[in-house]
Amino acid sequence: MDAQKVDLFIMTNGKFFESHQINVIRNRMLQVDESKWSILSTTQFKDPTTILIVSLLAGAFGIDRFMIGDTAMGIGKLITCGGFGIWTIVDWFLIQKATREKNIEKIQRFL
Amino acid sequence: MSLNRNRLYVRVIIASVVGYVWILLQVTKNNFSNNPFRVCFLKQITNIPCPSCGTTRSVTSIIQGHFLDALYSNPLGYLIFIVLLISPFWILKDLFKKTNTFLQFYIKILTTIKKPKIAFVLIVLVILNWIWNINKGL
Repeated sequence: MDAQKVDLFIMTNGKFFESHQINVIRNRMLQVDESKWSILSTTQFKDPTTILIVSLLAGAFGIDRFMIGDTAMGIGKLITCGGFGIWTIVDWFLIQKATREKNIEKIQRFL
Repeated sequence: MSLNRNRLYVRVIIASVVGYVWILLQVTKNNFSNNPFRVCFLKQITNIPCPSCGTTRSVTSIIQGHFLDALYSNPLGYLIFIVLLISPFWILKDLFKKTNTFLQFYIKILTTIKKPKIAFVLIVLVILNWIWNINKGL
């Protein structure tokens, strides 16, 4: 894929991934052919900041986990009063990383 | 779905052990209503019960044989009781026989409840249960 397009993608979507993964994504994107561009450029990723806000407000119900697609963990959180409140607090710190990992899983399907 | 079998099994077993220890503590203590310590984060701060408040009371009622009390406390208790009763033994059986039937069942259940119609019904049920919880004043 064209280096200019790849850099444009990284600039707009860099915040959705872990910093150490960006280089890997860039290299992979440079290797794949041009036809993937339309899929990649239109893919929606979950914003870690939005999920963090949801986690702060409705983390006790597991809504944050449901939003990033972790349905099982969401149910676990919902039926245990947010993991007795402990899991809720732990997730305030972990949810951004979890969101970025979900985004990586999503982009790996196209690369 | 990128799901590691062993990771899932370890998670479920840890959750089950925590669940068993918690329930055992509550059953042996036997004075839950007098206990000033509340585990629910939301209830402690806002005094409004969350959708799953009363689940511990429900499970302990089931163990003591008061099935109607359990239903009144929180119907979710039945779900947790069944999960706690079955999942650890199912996983142990899987580990000994080196199969992954629990994982397959787990994926099947997850894909079923992710279907919009079923998800909608479940969300409505949880919200209704929550409203009931608030009305009961758990």
